[in-house]
Amino acid sequence: MLKDILTPKKVIFAPTSHTELRGQNSRSRGVTLVCGNLTGNSRQDISGVSARVYKNGTYGFSSMAEYSPEAAEAVLRAATENADFMSLHINKGKPSLPIVTGGNRILETDIKDADQKVYIDFAREIDNYIAKKYPNLKSRTVAAREDSMEKLLRISDGCDAHTCLQRSYVYVFLNSETTSGAPIELFEAYGGKGAFEDNFKDPQELFPKIDILYEKLMQKREGVYADAGEKTVILGSMMTGMLAHEAVGHTVEADLVLGGSVAAHNLGKPVASEIVNLTDFAHTAFGNKTPLPVYVDDEGVIASDAKIIENGILVGYLNNRESAQHFGMQPCGNARAWAFSDEPLIRMRNTAILPGTDKLEDMIASVEDGYYLLDSNNGQADTTGEFMFGVCMGYEIKNGKLGRALLDTTISGVAFNMLKTVDMISDKADWYSSGFCGKKQPMPVGMGGPAIRCKVMIGGR
Amino acid sequence: MEKYKRIAEDILKKAKELGAEVAHCSVRESETNEFNVDGNEFSLFRTLFDRGVTVTVFVENKKGSVSINRFDDESITQAVQNAVSAAKSSNPDTAWEIAKNIGEKHFKRGALVPDREKLFFRTKELLEDIKNRHPLIIVEQMIVTHTSSKGVYMSTTGNTYFSESGRYNAELMYSAHEGEKATSFFGSDVTVADLDKPFIDCAFIERELTDIENQLDSAPTEGKFTGTVIFTPGCLVGTVFGNICDNFASDSVLLDGTSLWKDKLGKQVADERINVSFKPSDERIVCGQVYTGEGFIAEDFDFIKNGRLNSFLLSQYVANKTGNERAKNSSFSIVIEGGTTPLEEMIKNVKKGVIVGRFSGGSPGTNGEFSGVAKNGFFIEDGKIVSALSETMISGNLADMLNNLVDISKEILIDGTVVAPYMAFDGITVSGK
Repeated sequence: MLKDILTPKKVIFAPTSHTELRGQNSRSRGVTLVCGNLTGNSRQDISGVSARVYKNGTYGFSSMAEYSPEAAEAVLRAATENADFMSLHINKGKPSLPIVTGGNRILETDIKDADQKVYIDFAREIDNYIAKKYPNLKSRTVAAREDSMEKLLRISDGCDAHTCLQRSYVYVFLNSETTSGAPIELFEAYGGKGAFEDNFKDPQELFPKIDILYEKLMQKREGVYADAGEKTVILGSMMTGMLAHEAVGHTVEADLVLGGSVAAHNLGKPVASEIVNLTDFAHTAFGNKTPLPVYVDDEGVIASDAKIIENGILVGYLNNRESAQHFGMQPCGNARAWAFSDEPLIRMRNTAILPGTDKLEDMIASVEDGYYLLDSNNGQADTTGEFMFGVCMGYEIKNGKLGRALLDTTISGVAFNMLKTVDMISDKADWYSSGFCGKKQPMPVGMGGPAIRCKVMIGGR
Repeated sequence: MEKYKRIAEDILKKAKELGAEVAHCSVRESETNEFNVDGNEFSLFRTLFDRGVTVTVFVENKKGSVSINRFDDESITQAVQNAVSAAKSSNPDTAWEIAKNIGEKHFKRGALVPDREKLFFRTKELLEDIKNRHPLIIVEQMIVTHTSSKGVYMSTTGNTYFSESGRYNAELMYSAHEGEKATSFFGSDVTVADLDKPFIDCAFIERELTDIENQLDSAPTEGKFTGTVIFTPGCLVGTVFGNICDNFASDSVLLDGTSLWKDKLGKQVADERINVSFKPSDERIVCGQVYTGEGFIAEDFDFIKNGRLNSFLLSQYVANKTGNERAKNSSFSIVIEGGTTPLEEMIKNVKKGVIVGRFSGGSPGTNGEFSGVAKNGFFIEDGKIVSALSETMISGNLADMLNNLVDISKEILIDGTVVAPYMAFDGITVSGK
């Protein structure tokens, strides 16, 4: 755990500039078994300290791969010099950052660390189970992973904090062939926030879930191609989460708004049907902790929920302190940095469409000819809101009943057009948090939501 | 360099004392100076002092690996212990192998010391050039860096490599805007060893900015047709050959046996005009790879020669597992040979098709089937560009496509990391509204 060697350095912060001093320890542990071969077996521990100084509208930043009082002083010096350099050459003459609530959040959880043997033994037992029970698979991959970010933040004006975000997952990839010999794959990530040993006590607990995954793969073997064109579909929670994150969330990040994203021209305007509400949650949602809770961001802002769409109207952006001042909004704690050597960027935390009042079975029953799209293996969106998501598991809906499984397909559209077609939203939401969001730096994020009924373009073969 | 050498020697000594029969490690430090622009304005200047240690050990043919970024004795000792412990918990596998008896080598490349003032000048100049020459462009983000690194690689198998390198890089993401009209975003990138030329004159930056400005008035293609697709060099490298490498020739697909090309070595897999190599020592590549992660000296090699598959892209480990040869380097310094036809001529020869600047789609499966949105592109009909594209999808099969080559351009992108032309393929399905 990081010792507090940073508080004494507050006395040397430049008196008139906003200053952040952050110590960080990032860990990752991982093993990968490909068809029983242990191809990955590694541990990584990366730590250091960084400082960022705001002066006249630009930042100076510096980091050092060493967590010591001397390194803290060195990065403060270098960040100040860099801020002075920028102030001399590019003086924007901007005012100081807005004042935010102060305080000091203390680390509340233990940070556990399992031996590598724990990951290897767990993955091996899962792999043995699959190899023995399902010998006809074309290939299989099992990976066990844990990553954590412990941060100690000391700030000139705002909330000091000592936080840790730890998460662990087991990934299972199963490969087979269709009856015509085309390769097919399905994967599932199990786990969530917390240490590996807390999330995975007994490999046998995963066996029934792997059986379900295998069953889906067998359905996909007999799968059919979707008919191309605009269709009525039910998007499952994962697809809804992907839509919330990729196609809407990124376009409302204030740095991208300033770069000309579609949200720049739509604040206060209807961008979805009236039943759609979308929020970037900080740490609590629907009465429970979010999958990856954020309490204080890396600019010392106490985290709160950021409403993005309310009753179909675009009501806000995701901000850091500087962009919040620019847009006259409140910062909600969206400035997050990945490694000790990274500066905070505007990032999502736990982004979801809010549940509605419909029952999933009624929604499926309401579709005469369409699709129920469950899982995605990738997704991309443009700052224009145009999106494309791969669909790796889904079913036909014919006359209100689920039909054959689908082979891999894609859906595409423009978010603020497509969201206006949403006419039913289920009453239950699920979260997904095993991936990374990419934007200069990677970042763990949560995304989710209920099932929604909407119209979307679906690719065929 | 002596400091890194001492640490590396200490690591290998400790590993042997703890029971490792074979071990290798790298010890390195780097400095990065970086200017950031957001929304057309300078936002940040950062300086990073980084270091890294990677230790890999083999105990009874079992492998363990640990990475840290500290040089102190306690952290080094702990890292070696953790690597040995991880190895002992692992599975024995006789396929693990690292390079032997190459000896001592010294590598020095690029601009080792940053010229911060000139880097700032070139960054500001690029921003001003874009504002003056391309007023409709908004630079969403620009990151301009100088990175230098030095360090030592050492193995118990008799190899010690000293390396120093430094390079400049400019990456920019931008889109064009006019009122509420906006294009899709696009990224340009260049890596250089010196700052002699303005960035806008490097690689295809000027050409790409012009293309994006010309995409403001876009429309979907009508209906569905099978036609010609011209991939820009960037899209050809990332979308076409990036996926071909991963799906047909990489470690994972040869190891799990899902590669369509697993029995194609030495056989025709593409049109005979297609030549693709990996050449980290090519003079057009800046600071290319000098040794692989397994300690082999990086050498240039042909991947596809006159349409024949000349080599897989395998590590020594997977080469041993599958009975193939390892690739002579593990970089992505891809060099795709150009042709003789000017791009303008290639466009004139297209009856109906599209130019694709960026592909937004999922990774194709191991069967090579791809489907996704054609971004930053143009619709061509009867040899003329009719309009820019929006909401248009393309789909096809990568393996089949290589045998449906129409032409290769004379114009070649040289961006310091890759060398590639435009390439046109027939038989691609294009679907609009």
